[in-house]
Amino acid sequence: MAIDGSKIVHAVMEGSRIRESKGIIPLFGVYLSIISVSYYNRLSFDLEKLMGPQRSAEAQQLLVHAAQECGYATFQGIRNSWEWAEIVAPMIETTEDQIKGFTAVAVAFGWGDLEVVDIIPRERLVIRVTDSYEARGYHAEYGTAPAGKCYMLRGVTGAFMDLLYGGDYPDGCLSFSAEETHCRAKGDPYCEFIATKSPDHTEPSAAGPGR
Amino acid sequence: MTPFNWHTELGREGHRVLVAGQPFAMHCHHYNINLQMTLEETLGDDGVMLLFRSAEEAAYHNFRYLIAQYRQLKTYKSRLEMASILFQSCGLGILYFLNATPDSGAISSPASHFVTGWLAKHGRRHTPGCHFSRGWIAGVMEATFDRPLGHFRVSETQCKLKQDKECLFEARSAPDTESETR
Repeated sequence: MAIDGSKIVHAVMEGSRIRESKGIIPLFGVYLSIISVSYYNRLSFDLEKLMGPQRSAEAQQLLVHAAQECGYATFQGIRNSWEWAEIVAPMIETTEDQIKGFTAVAVAFGWGDLEVVDIIPRERLVIRVTDSYEARGYHAEYGTAPAGKCYMLRGVTGAFMDLLYGGDYPDGCLSFSAEETHCRAKGDPYCEFIATKSPDHTEPSAAGPGR
Repeated sequence: MTPFNWHTELGREGHRVLVAGQPFAMHCHHYNINLQMTLEETLGDDGVMLLFRSAEEAAYHNFRYLIAQYRQLKTYKSRLEMASILFQSCGLGILYFLNATPDSGAISSPASHFVTGWLAKHGRRHTPGCHFSRGWIAGVMEATFDRPLGHFRVSETQCKLKQDKECLFEARSAPDTESETR
């Protein structure tokens, strides 16, 4: 059975309308917020600006790592939630289907129209997005970018592979890292993210338990 | 009672999440708190100011747009009531605007996404930490009272992250010269 993204979108939209008396949305094992994309874009792009051209690479790395660590914890919570067990798990037939489930949740969250283009188990994941809010926001505010600007999606792509092939949680974070090979902010027709093993990655023990 | 209807304002256009027709995204406490910590640790006071300003600007523009949609909300009170509903509906927590005027305001928050999220990830802290809420309050008050961005300076006098009973905020109009340079 293929992953039916519309079921996941429906569950997220219905769940996000329900909040407890404190105004908090507990959904898919996390506390969810609904915030303008301009808030996130301003934080990212102004952090880069404030750190200046000398520290631009460091700023980008901070943002990617923040997203990857978050994606790792977030989707670990999501795949252990009762909503996942009830709605997504019945559609999963292979290990790699989990990633399609993750991307369907990301689409439901409004991060963009993520599409899994290629998965080579334990080695490589390619995700393509034609409408990322980061690329759209950068281009609208600053014009054509000199390099990829979708730091959140880049980190999250790495996190998906960490969760599947990085070893036991919570030790597998940053086992993989992703590059943004194409970005709409720099004039490409789409944004594309390729996650591969991090250069300093140590293979988890073959004898160890896997998911 | 405000006619603001959250259920019709939260919608989708394909893969985009919209609130009152404007692009929003759903993110969880892991990401929001990670971003806050990254900015505080990397940039210190500049990072705190960036968190404040980003929330202020986003809330200001979103709320001005909403006010234009709900022209029947003519009183400040009804607009601020809509702001409280919006805050709660977005999963951001509870906000009460007390004695809000074009020059000042007292605001209380017995619960918030950022407090719940920070406590879940890192536990208590020694300094107030609700920079997003401060900025959000400034932005909606500037939109409500038809004041420019940067008009309000908002401080957090009590914070649940420091074990206070609730978060309390004070809004004051910034001096003109400061407002121009912010």
